[in-house]
Amino acid sequence: MLAVTGVSRSFGGVYAVRDVSLAVAEGELCAIIGPNGAGKSTLFNLVTGHLAADHGEIAFLGHRVDRLAPHRRARLGMSIVFQGARVFRAMTVRENVMVGMHGRTRSGFVSAALRLPRHRRDEREIGREADAALARVGLAEWAGRPADRLPIGQQRALQLARALCARPRLLLLDEPASGLRGHERERLAALVEELRADGLTILLIEHDVGFVTRLADRVVVLDLGRVIADGPPAEIREDPLVLAAYLGQAS
Amino acid sequence: MKRIAAAALAVAVALGLPLVLDDSALAVYVLLGLAAIVTVGVSLLMGFAGQVSLGQGAFYGVGAYTAALLALNGFPPLLGLVAAPLMAAVFAVLIGMPLLRLRGHHLAFATLAVQLILLSLAGQLEFTGGDIGLQGIPQFGIGSWEMDSAAAYAWLTWAALGLVMLVTHHVIASRPGRALRALATSETAAASSGIPVGRYKLVVFALSAAFAGLAGGIYCFYTGYVAPGSFPVLISIQYIVMAVVGGLGTVWGALAGASAITLLVQGLDRLAALPGMPTYAPSVLSYAVYALVLIGVVLFLPQGLVPALTRRDRPGRRGRAS
Repeated sequence: MLAVTGVSRSFGGVYAVRDVSLAVAEGELCAIIGPNGAGKSTLFNLVTGHLAADHGEIAFLGHRVDRLAPHRRARLGMSIVFQGARVFRAMTVRENVMVGMHGRTRSGFVSAALRLPRHRRDEREIGREADAALARVGLAEWAGRPADRLPIGQQRALQLARALCARPRLLLLDEPASGLRGHERERLAALVEELRADGLTILLIEHDVGFVTRLADRVVVLDLGRVIADGPPAEIREDPLVLAAYLGQAS
Repeated sequence: MKRIAAAALAVAVALGLPLVLDDSALAVYVLLGLAAIVTVGVSLLMGFAGQVSLGQGAFYGVGAYTAALLALNGFPPLLGLVAAPLMAAVFAVLIGMPLLRLRGHHLAFATLAVQLILLSLAGQLEFTGGDIGLQGIPQFGIGSWEMDSAAAYAWLTWAALGLVMLVTHHVIASRPGRALRALATSETAAASSGIPVGRYKLVVFALSAAFAGLAGGIYCFYTGYVAPGSFPVLISIQYIVMAVVGGLGTVWGALAGASAITLLVQGLDRLAALPGMPTYAPSVLSYAVYALVLIGVVLFLPQGLVPALTRRDRPGRRGRAS
C-alpha cells in the first residue's frame, strides 16, 4: 500500500533521514519508533507531503506521490492525526469533523453562496458522516462545543474522527499517545485496535515503546536517520542494535 | 425565528432611513454603507480565513476607476458596476498569487505596498487622469432611467450591502467556509484534510476584493469623480479598525464596526472644523482616534462589539446555525 524507497532528506548538510526504505502492507499496523532526533517526524512529513524529499521515491496505492501536494495525497486516501493540538479554532467539534469530508465532496463557493441543491445535498451528507465519526470516537455529546476548549485527550479523539470522516485507506498517527494520561491512553489504544480489526491500514509514529509493542504488527526502528531494524515487536525487543541505540539510551 | 425577525427589522430600518434623513445625513449614510461592504470582505478575509490585508483600499480604488473609465468611455453604467467587482477580483488573483505565500504582518505590509504603488501609478498615468483624477462621471442608471437622488444611491448601496452580507453568511456556514476557517488555524492540518490551501486563500482574497470593488463602483457614480486622494492608505486602516471594533468573524460585526467608526469620525470632523482648529486637525484626530479605539477594543472587548453585546458563544452559535 505504502512503499518508501531510498528516501533522504537533509537540513543544512545534516541528514535527518538517510536512505530509508520501508513498506506498509494492506491491513497492517506498522509502527515507526526511535529515540528523539532519529528522524521520525521528518519521515512522517515526507510521507504526508509537508516536506519534500531530496532523493528517493514514495508510492501510495501504486501512485508516485512524492511530488504531490499534501491535499492531493489526502485525497488519495491518507489521513493524519497530528501530534500537536491541531484542532481548528473558532469552530465546533462537529464542524471540525465536517472538514474531514472536504475531499469527498465538491460543492464550492458559488453553490454555497446561492444555496444550490448541490450544496444542500453535500451539507446533508457531510453532517451525516460527521455524526457517525463522532459517535465512533465517543464524542457525540460534545458535538456543539467549541473544539479548542476540549481536553487534550478529546482533541486527539476529535482529530481521529476528522481523519475517519475522510474514509482513509491509510491512517497516519503522529505520536498519538503523547501528552495523554493513563486512562486516555488506554481509550486511544482500544480505539486504534478496533480500527485495525476493521481492516484499516495504520502507520503509527511513536516514542512510547510500550504503546507500540502492544499494538503493532511490525515495528521499524529509526536511529540517526537510518532504519536499524524492521520486524515483529517480539524480535525488535531482542535486537541488540535496537537495545544499544534506543533502549540503552533510555536507561 | 428571532434571528429572522431581527434581520427583517434591520432591513426595514435600512430601507426606511433614506426617506427621513436630510442631505448631509444621507451622504454619511451612503458612505457608511460603502464602508460596511468593504468591511464585510475584511472580516471574511481576516476573521474567518485569517489573512490580513492592509491594502483593501486598493481594491476599492480599482473598482472605482474601472467603473469610472467604462462610464466615461460611453459604456452603460450597469456594465461598469458589474465590471468593478470583477476587475478588483482579477487584480486580487494576480497580486495574490505571489503575495499570499506571505503570512501575518508580511502579508499586511505587502498589500499596503501594493496600494502605495497603485496610488502613485494612478497619480502619474494619463488615462487615469493623474493627480486630478477622473471627473464628470455620469449618473448611474439602467437604460433611459437615471439615478439622480441621493436616496436612490442609499438604496443601491444598502441593497449591495445586504447582498454581500448574505453571500458571506452563506459561504461561512458551508463546505468552503469551513475550509477557510480551518486553514486560518493550521494550513498543515487543513491541507491534510484535502483542502487546496493556496487556491482557497486566493479565492477568499478575490472575494473580499470583489466586495471592495463593488463598493468602489457605487462610490464613483455617487460622487461623480475619482482621484488618488479618494483612496488613501488611511482608508485601508479604517476598514481594519471597523472590522476589529465590530468583531472579527461575525458578519453583523462588520456593519456594527463600520457604523460606530463612521459616526465617530463624523463627530470628530465637526470638532476639527470648529473655528480656531489647525488645518491638520482632521487627519491627526482621525489617526489618533483609530489608534485609541483599536487599542481600547483590543484591551477591553477583544472579540469586538457584536460578540460582546450578544454574549453568546461564537462557535456554538455557528454550529447551531449550520
